[in-house]
Amino acid sequence: MKSGFLNQALARRHAIKVGGLGLLGLTLPKILAAEAAKPAKTARIKSVVFLFQWGGPSHIDMFDMKPDAPSTHRGPHKPIASNADGIQVSEHLPRVAKVMNKVTLIRSVHHTMKNHNSAGYYALTGHAPPSDDQRLRDGLELFPAYGSMVDRLVPSRNGTPTSVAYPHVVRDGSVTPGQHASFLGKAHDPLLVTQDPNVPGFALPELSLPAGISYERMTARRELQKLVDAQSRLMSTSPLARGIDDYYEKAVAMLQNEKWRNAFDIAKEPEKAREAYGRTTYGQSCLLARRLVEAGTKFVTVYFSDTIGGQRTESGGWDTHGFNNTRMFPIVEQYHLPITNQTLPVFLNDLESRGLLDTTLVVWMGEFGRTPKINSNISRDHWPQCYTVMLAGGGVKNGYVHGASDSRGEYPADKPVRPDDIAATVYHLLGIPPHSEVRDVNNRPLSVTSGKVIEEILA
Amino acid sequence: MSWRWHMAVLFAFAFTAPAAEISFRNDVLPILSKAGCNLGSCHGAANGKNGFNLSLREENPAADHLALTTDISGRRVNRAAPDQSLLLLKATALVPHEGQERFKIDSREYRVLRDWIAGGLKDDTGKATKLTRLAVTPNEKILVGKGEAVRLKVEATFANGDRRDVSDLVVYEPVTTLVNVSADGVARANGDGETVVLVRFIDRQTPVRLAFIPDRARVWSQREKPLNYIDRHVFDKLQRLRLQPAVKCSDEAFIRRVSLDLLGIVPMPEEARAFAADTAPDKRSKLVERLLVRPEFADYWALKWADLFKVERRALDERGLKFFHGWLRESVAQNLPLNEFARELLASRGSTYTNAPSNFYRAHRTPVLRAEAAAQVFLGLRLQCAQCHNHPYDRWSQDDYHNWAAVFAQVDYKIIENKRTDKNDQQEFVGEQIVLINNKGEHLNPRIRSAATPRLLGVAEEKIGLTGDSLRAAADWVADPANPLFARAQVNRIWFHLMGRGLVDPVDDLRPTNPPSHPELLDELAADLVKSRFDLRHLIRRITASHTYQSGAESSLASASDAVHYAYCLPRSLAAEQLLDSLSRVIGAPIEMSELPLGQRVVKLAGPVSDRKKDDAEKFLTVFGKPPRLMNSECERLSDPTLGQSFQMMSGPVVASMIMQSDNRLGRLLAANKSNAEIVEELSWAALGHAPTAAGRAGFARHLAAAKDRRAALEDILWALVNAKEFVLRN
Repeated sequence: MKSGFLNQALARRHAIKVGGLGLLGLTLPKILAAEAAKPAKTARIKSVVFLFQWGGPSHIDMFDMKPDAPSTHRGPHKPIASNADGIQVSEHLPRVAKVMNKVTLIRSVHHTMKNHNSAGYYALTGHAPPSDDQRLRDGLELFPAYGSMVDRLVPSRNGTPTSVAYPHVVRDGSVTPGQHASFLGKAHDPLLVTQDPNVPGFALPELSLPAGISYERMTARRELQKLVDAQSRLMSTSPLARGIDDYYEKAVAMLQNEKWRNAFDIAKEPEKAREAYGRTTYGQSCLLARRLVEAGTKFVTVYFSDTIGGQRTESGGWDTHGFNNTRMFPIVEQYHLPITNQTLPVFLNDLESRGLLDTTLVVWMGEFGRTPKINSNISRDHWPQCYTVMLAGGGVKNGYVHGASDSRGEYPADKPVRPDDIAATVYHLLGIPPHSEVRDVNNRPLSVTSGKVIEEILA
Repeated sequence: MSWRWHMAVLFAFAFTAPAAEISFRNDVLPILSKAGCNLGSCHGAANGKNGFNLSLREENPAADHLALTTDISGRRVNRAAPDQSLLLLKATALVPHEGQERFKIDSREYRVLRDWIAGGLKDDTGKATKLTRLAVTPNEKILVGKGEAVRLKVEATFANGDRRDVSDLVVYEPVTTLVNVSADGVARANGDGETVVLVRFIDRQTPVRLAFIPDRARVWSQREKPLNYIDRHVFDKLQRLRLQPAVKCSDEAFIRRVSLDLLGIVPMPEEARAFAADTAPDKRSKLVERLLVRPEFADYWALKWADLFKVERRALDERGLKFFHGWLRESVAQNLPLNEFARELLASRGSTYTNAPSNFYRAHRTPVLRAEAAAQVFLGLRLQCAQCHNHPYDRWSQDDYHNWAAVFAQVDYKIIENKRTDKNDQQEFVGEQIVLINNKGEHLNPRIRSAATPRLLGVAEEKIGLTGDSLRAAADWVADPANPLFARAQVNRIWFHLMGRGLVDPVDDLRPTNPPSHPELLDELAADLVKSRFDLRHLIRRITASHTYQSGAESSLASASDAVHYAYCLPRSLAAEQLLDSLSRVIGAPIEMSELPLGQRVVKLAGPVSDRKKDDAEKFLTVFGKPPRLMNSECERLSDPTLGQSFQMMSGPVVASMIMQSDNRLGRLLAANKSNAEIVEELSWAALGHAPTAAGRAGFARHLAAAKDRRAALEDILWALVNAKEFVLRN
């Protein structure tokens, strides 16, 4: 077990004292204490929406088209011009083409993890896994999800969870690591919602009381609980008892927090907006993301799908190998690209028209790209050596391309970027110095990321 | 500054005469250590910082010499113009330095480094006289009153007989923020409590234990008599800290406490009532005797072992999982001596379907994993750090680590069949395996790039012959009553389970730099365990018989920071299984879980919660910290309260459906036509182990009087009772 709530509470108090830098300096020699006392950088943004494209979208067929590549590489889709100078996108993304002036494309992202779970963990945490394992096992020695790290270092102070993740748990054979707080402790887990916001009656289970229990009755129960607690002296003698009670208080407050409950009440959204985002799980998830950002949620993770998919046109992720006699291009033409084309621009425009885009960073990325060389199934396999990540909104440039792939989209030709650098950039924009320190279960000091902020893309 | 500077000059002259002969190893590297340059967060990181990479905490002086004297640009050190060396410009922040200013231009540090550069960057590794002893006075101290400080005096003894005061040169590393130590060794508290400061110089480190207590009166009275040697040690320290132990807990508290600790579940209300009414003077020890032979005892203590050996489905398969778990339970039930238990596991081999202990090796597939598991579970050592570099806080070198791993390199597997459900999962095994010994098995030591020599930890001369059975040798060594590590590690774990905190904390992190809160007590407990022939029940009897175990939850003088001294009982959260089983017993409704026969307790689950968490009860257990069993440590069981736990209790389906079930304890009381007062009394005994107080009765009565629906109002009271801190905490 961990060292106990008391120590945790003390540690937390200390963390606040040193300026929100978390455990930094907690057990280091005094020499480093001076560094720890440096104030946290000011946050450039208030929220991040992480749109995780599970399965691995094809960079060469979407945002890094290579019309001059040989036929062995270039796909059947044609590029079209976008509203950003010199940026072309797929002809299947005409609406996306009209928002490219709001985004930064990084076309030189690369790593070496060829399996979904290891690459997925890398994307979700910004840390390379210990091995490239198809069934990379989750465990407390692995790094926490972005949202958990954010909750550890710059938590929301409005009484609502810092980080919300939905509508799936991502898995490929086994649960993909990087979706929870890991060694930071369960208190930092993202609020995970595994309900489909596209289904009528969508509601957050935590905010839904059991049948027959009204809010009034829950309030009465809470009063009775206080009555029983008053029978013992635990509340005055035990910091742990008070800590648990604080969570009840928070939970009751959340049940009664209009703004927060409203955010999940997606049915309140006008029909027109719901249609515009698209009546898909992903479309409504993005709409919910906007509502959460409005309610002040700091880190929203939307998983495109629960599985790597790639063989169907009604569900699943981007993993289009052409297995089982399927073919990639008809599938993405019918499913993945239309959904993206519908939802992504509406989402960015909606954030902008509500004045939220400037303080919200949208990250669109998969765990890797796809092989530029078309395979024998007229499809594409995994390609971590070079792929494209899209960032939009607060803190990053508009209509900008960073880095470049070579002529066939196979390797970075300019300014290679690692997932670690994306992590550093996201943390930096949230006001977290990328080299802030956290401690693992063995109390080893670990850097939040070893990446470097990509200065060139900062607005 | 000037005083300090003069002192520094004096020291420098005293230590490095003649001035020209500056020792790289004994003068230069300690300066870099003291300045923090070679910490893991700075240039001691695996890849260094900004192109400059030092070995972690000067563990590799030769590599550090190379790093300092050869770099691509040649700017790091400049013999012709020493002051222009990047090393000095960066350290004094004359050029931008992420680590900021480490020392000043007019400092001793600066001068020694500059003279060393000017003197030709000489390396004396191997020639420098060795540090043989590092002594700190005081090495233990209790300080009374606000703002009290102690000056630590550090003396280094070298192989050539030199003895020097190095208080100014060593690194002071407080383990917590409780204390600040100045560069010259003055330790001052930030608050009350106890902590350790590590004092490090060249290749040695020494812990100093400091306690800071408020200036309270010496109030010790002989009110509480020590009941056995445990209390003598604990009281002795409390007296020094001017603390009074809490009075003994009530009988009601005792039976609840000991039932939770020994059986993993709250007592039945009838048991609690009968115990409270019993007038026998020795009823507490009699109760312990009764509980020790109950089957629930074996269930609950087997769970603790199962958490440590990766007893999970993917590696062991369903059959192996149940078989191994059954063996763990049986060895607790039969009271297999702990050292024999360890021996059977470590020396195990054969079919995982017919020889249960061999599942230990089935679950640990590489020499490194086996070695780490054996060290952590049986010896209380966390060796992981030493895989990649010498352990920064322990005596184990990288070679020690790999030589220990080599002991386990002979394990091999004959996979009879593998009907894995997931072809892509290299770690899934479904089917029988034979664990066998392959004498050719080797383990590569990456540091020397050749096979490591099998060697037991800390047994310098002993080599296990390559022809011998290294597993048996390791098993015999661990199980030997003379083993210096095993008994201490085991008593610390038993103490942890009963007292909520190890004498060494974390429970499996025993090392000289993490000293126990009560060193003599740990020694005596270990000796007691050895003498009892490693009898788990004997040690539980001993601990539960102490006043220390039985102390109440309050001590008028003690503050929260005194919990580590056992002045009073520190409340802690129930484990996931304790909580769910107790909820089921109190509410009187069975747990619904597809993997468990209806009415069975979850403590009996052989494995962890399945990956898919199909059932609400499985989600409940996960939220309350039931571990997936991928580590060999108690720390995998996360016990911190969370918001999700409150939601589980408030709006979660498990508690809600139990409370609403028509024939639960409440339903049965209603069906028996009991009055409200009788029902409330019975529910309180079931949940809290005592009758409601007058104020509680009155409050419940008010709630019931105002209610339209009697059953609903009683459900509210039942909910409140199982959400009370008294219920969700063990205290």
